Amino acid sequence: MAILDLVRLDKHFGSVAAVSDVQFTVSDGEFMCILGPSGCGKSTLLRMIAGFETPTGGDIRIDGDSIVTLGANRRPTAMVFQKYTLWPHMKVFDNIGFGLQLRRLPRAEIKRKVEESLALVSLSGYEERYPAQLSGGQQQRVALARALVLEPKILLLDEPFSSLDAILRVRLREELHRIQRRLNITAIFVTHDQEEALTLADRIAVMSSGRIEQIAAPADIYANPASLFVADFIGAMNLLEGEASSQQVRLGAVALPTPGGVAARQVTVAIRPEDLVVLDGPHPEAWSCAVEQISDLGHYRRAVLEVPQLPPMKIYLPKSLSVQERAALHVYPRRYLIYENSGAPREVSRPLPAAATALLG
Amino acid sequence: MTAAAPSQSSPSWRKGIIAYLMVAPPLLLMILLIFIPALQSTARTLTIDVNGAPGFSISRYTAFFQDPISVSNLFFTFQVTLITLAAIFILCFPLAIYLRFANGKLAGAVQVLALFPLFVPGIILAYALIRFLGTRGTLDNVLSIIGFTGYRTPYLKPDAIIFGLVWESIPFTVLVLTAGLRQISDSLIESARDVGANSWQIFWRIILPQIARPVLIVFSLNFLGIFGSYTIPYLLGPAAPQMMGVFMQQTFGQYRRPDDAETQAVITFIICAFIGFLYVRTVANQRKREDSE
Repeated sequence: MAILDLVRLDKHFGSVAAVSDVQFTVSDGEFMCILGPSGCGKSTLLRMIAGFETPTGGDIRIDGDSIVTLGANRRPTAMVFQKYTLWPHMKVFDNIGFGLQLRRLPRAEIKRKVEESLALVSLSGYEERYPAQLSGGQQQRVALARALVLEPKILLLDEPFSSLDAILRVRLREELHRIQRRLNITAIFVTHDQEEALTLADRIAVMSSGRIEQIAAPADIYANPASLFVADFIGAMNLLEGEASSQQVRLGAVALPTPGGVAARQVTVAIRPEDLVVLDGPHPEAWSCAVEQISDLGHYRRAVLEVPQLPPMKIYLPKSLSVQERAALHVYPRRYLIYENSGAPREVSRPLPAAATALLG
Repeated sequence: MTAAAPSQSSPSWRKGIIAYLMVAPPLLLMILLIFIPALQSTARTLTIDVNGAPGFSISRYTAFFQDPISVSNLFFTFQVTLITLAAIFILCFPLAIYLRFANGKLAGAVQVLALFPLFVPGIILAYALIRFLGTRGTLDNVLSIIGFTGYRTPYLKPDAIIFGLVWESIPFTVLVLTAGLRQISDSLIESARDVGANSWQIFWRIILPQIARPVLIVFSLNFLGIFGSYTIPYLLGPAAPQMMGVFMQQTFGQYRRPDDAETQAVITFIICAFIGFLYVRTVANQRKREDSE
């Protein structure tokens, strides 16, 4: 149970800045996900916290004490790696008990703790197996037990499920969530999988090119992406380039109102697919378009629309709505975000126009 | 799929014959040039002439083990082999670990230097060492320039043999150990550090158990090479005691006692075969254990 503070953390490899000016606090018992594309510096950041990389600048504090000068073997952190994490020549018992042996704990206590941690990851009775006798998912569970048995102040996870298949990944994700809640341990989870981050995290830190783009709860990040990068990276988004004038943004042949106006001339409008409402007929404020392609995704359908002079637009259609490819639709953007050159976007949310009815199928 | 179909349906006996045909030439060579001569030699050493007819006897072996010179040469060979092996491991382990974990130009240069002896024939190496280590050699001169005059050359002493054999064995040892170390992924070492192990504990508990096989390969193949070595002990070593290779050649060539040389050869062969047997058995056991996992 601990608080982690990252203070203006920098890491340069030669002239390349892998991590620059990262600053945030993870509170006691919080589950923080660091999310970003590969090469964004998220693993380097985690490795600095674990002690495998030395920061070029800044500080790392646990409960107020700086740990930057401590070696990895002396930090109160424990890490679960992506793969090849268990020592192949040791049985499960020794893999988990190794850290306890190094701490010179009595045999009986090591045995008790190893058994407890195996029970925690639902692998009781696997003590005598070798790693090669376990499945990939079981190996990662043992790796988790090995990290937890040391009762670390901070649990670090570096894409621990990324080498597993999709179904197993979801199952282990849920199990990890349950364990983290039960132990109330402060955890940092690095991933490039937004679904993983959105389902697990109390807060998500989105990283790009070594910098933090936004830190917020999953729902906030989804609803109000702070930058164009986040808007594009998290969830499906329609991004449209437009030219702003005093009261509206012109997007090809159509336009959207900008109540209060915008400062910049060149702006990007971001519309979530679910914020495009299908109307029952043409309307002056609706966009007329053609359905280019429909994919059936089980409980809903995703369509790509062709709006004249605009890039293809994504939209979700309820299954009950009987729309075929090539059909004409009239869509109305109910909510959208306007991004100027920099800074937070302007959010526009508006009701359906008078005399228009949404088609719900 | 269509191309693979005929070979899949071809009877297994035909595949078996092809496989035997492929291994036949080397197998035949081994039988003709190694096994049969070895058996013949061994048989001859156990045979004496009893009134014109051959009879069984171990008298040649009792003679070998009663002769103080023979025994001291055998003991000396063991001594040199074991000291050389220890020196090889002490030198090559740090080198291999450095090459496994270091990057950059310096590591590249060290690797080239470590592999260089591989391309130097033993006889050239021996003369180079004589020039370097001998009285009035490079080392002696450099030491006297800096004011040290008490240099006593190891040339024609056992130390010079060990020096030469170690130098000759470095490339192979470093190659095999480095290859073994590269099989251990970084995350296995980092996770050991993460749970609190220091460098020494990582070496003993994580690295060494995982490179048991490369260590065994290096131990046994170096043992065989050193135990039967000839050029370096002949050119650099003392006149007495001698290593078995030199001893055999001298018994055969200078003293013209082929029967005794044969006995010495069989004893050397049996010791080496025993090490070879240990190696094969350990590898086979390890493979069996891995298959069962």
